[in-house]
Amino acid sequence: MTPIVQVIDLRKRYGEIEAVRGISFFVEPGEVFGLLGPNGAGKTTTVEILEGLRRADGGAATVAGVDVFSDPAAVKRRIGVQLQASAFPDNLTARETVRFFAACYDLYVDELALLRLVELEERAGQPQAKLSGGQRQRLSIATALVNQPQVLFLDEPTTGLDPQARRNLWELIRGIQSRGTTVFLTTHYLDEAEILCDRVAIMDEGNIVALDAPRKLIDDLLVRGFTKPVLQQKANLEDVFLDLTGHELRET
Amino acid sequence: MRQTARLFSLLLRAYLRDRIALFFSLVVPLMLMVIFGYLNLGDFGRVSVAIDDEARNQSSAQLLQILRAIPTLQVSELQTDAALVKLRRTELDMLVVIPSDFAVAPARPGQAVPQLVVYGDDARPQQVAVGRQIVAQVIDRLSFAVTQTAPVVAVREESVQGVRLRYVDFLVPGILGVNIMQLAVFSVAFALVADKQRGVLRRIMATPVRVANLLAAHVGTRLVIATGQLAVLLIVALVLFNVTIVGGLAPLVVVALLGTILFLTIGFALAGWAKTENQVPAIAQLITLPQFFFSGVFFSKNAAPEAIRPLTNLLPLTFLNDALREISVQGATLWDVRMQILGLLVWTVLGFILAVRLFRFEKL
Repeated sequence: MTPIVQVIDLRKRYGEIEAVRGISFFVEPGEVFGLLGPNGAGKTTTVEILEGLRRADGGAATVAGVDVFSDPAAVKRRIGVQLQASAFPDNLTARETVRFFAACYDLYVDELALLRLVELEERAGQPQAKLSGGQRQRLSIATALVNQPQVLFLDEPTTGLDPQARRNLWELIRGIQSRGTTVFLTTHYLDEAEILCDRVAIMDEGNIVALDAPRKLIDDLLVRGFTKPVLQQKANLEDVFLDLTGHELRET
Repeated sequence: MRQTARLFSLLLRAYLRDRIALFFSLVVPLMLMVIFGYLNLGDFGRVSVAIDDEARNQSSAQLLQILRAIPTLQVSELQTDAALVKLRRTELDMLVVIPSDFAVAPARPGQAVPQLVVYGDDARPQQVAVGRQIVAQVIDRLSFAVTQTAPVVAVREESVQGVRLRYVDFLVPGILGVNIMQLAVFSVAFALVADKQRGVLRRIMATPVRVANLLAAHVGTRLVIATGQLAVLLIVALVLFNVTIVGGLAPLVVVALLGTILFLTIGFALAGWAKTENQVPAIAQLITLPQFFFSGVFFSKNAAPEAIRPLTNLLPLTFLNDALREISVQGATLWDVRMQILGLLVWTVLGFILAVRLFRFEKL
């Protein structure tokens, strides 16, 4: 199968800082691909170049068969994005927010169906600013789906969410994947990557230092003779937290 | 076009929901107009005159009666000392002292003619000049009546713009102009810089929306608000202050909308240049404040110092105010104010070029 995202020797520098130092990777259609790394590793820069929001200094990239550098507008038509640290226009309801983004693509969509998909149908008439953090992330995903994208880019989708909302969002992402959409996400939560991603690329200081299925990376590490210094716990604090507070979403 | 219309309808709906912004965009201009309209800062119509009648005879009573009957004068009787205090506080425009030997009678040769003493408030020279002239004329008439001679020269009074013009007639076009400027520059700059800072514009730019369509939708939204504002101001002007728009509403509205577009481009240029919301008021003031004072909003643009007048005459708001005022007060047609309209268009082109050059969708 032809890769849906191809990146070859991609480079970007900001003045003295080399944010992305010649990375290459492919994303297969239909997979959930994770780009991991500490803050400042170059994840967001890479994603924003692929989304056509930033110009690269060198290399090549195609998304959904389109050359990102020469035709960013065509890329934008084929992808859906959720940006880090972005916001929606003020004073619109959830439904109008979806309609606004549909208008940005010059498309008409069934707004309520999209809101139903992200479990926000009953919030359709509510001002977007009044939604909780988790609800706003789901609305954000709904707006990213208005053009039935081939690739959905999610930049740290669960940052700042409580454990219930995170799990709920994971379910949603799996559901989107099962409909055939490729998901490209960045995260610095490793549990999230392990559970959600078919393959992950680990980025550090502008380079990709590892790329494989999470299980494979773990096995490789164990083969190298790695052992945890402390005995593996059978449960962790998060398990306690979820046992006590349940998996139900906390939203008012 | 369809995309612009859809974005426009959503942006307009959002704007109308922002009650506070809406309130201020309508109430602040109203407040300005009502305050300045009632203050009558430049009121020409009435000259307040105090009279100290030291004669208290038939002639002085007759003079007083005539003066009281003149609508332009607001006559009060006051002792000289008290009146001078009030004059210094500029609570009075002038004081006329009728000497004790005042009499309207043929002067005998060799005898001194009684002398009226007139004190004027130097701060209001026009009022004093008008008052002096009226008093002098009344005295002349009385003298002619006594000497039984017909006046050598008759003066027929014509109402000239400037005398008949009430301050509020002068004020309304200025208030319209200044509000068009404030709404366009401030509301666009604040809203767009806020959107830029919060990442709204970045999110929108991740879609293939055409920038021109998005900007057109924003311009359209502001034009609707500006039209509403114009309507409210005009209704108040017409109903509360009985202002007559001599040249008719249509050309006035056309010029007002041209002015709105001009200042919107300046607002967009400012929004493109400013990186944070904190920079907006400072720069916006820098742009609007000189025009506030030098473009003939509250007083004649000729109040600007002579040396800088060639510059102040080229300010965007000067063109706008001049055109609005000539239409409103002198009944000018659009063709009559073509030079001002040309000025507006030139500024619009400049503003547009700046806006396009400076516009950035993110804070860098």
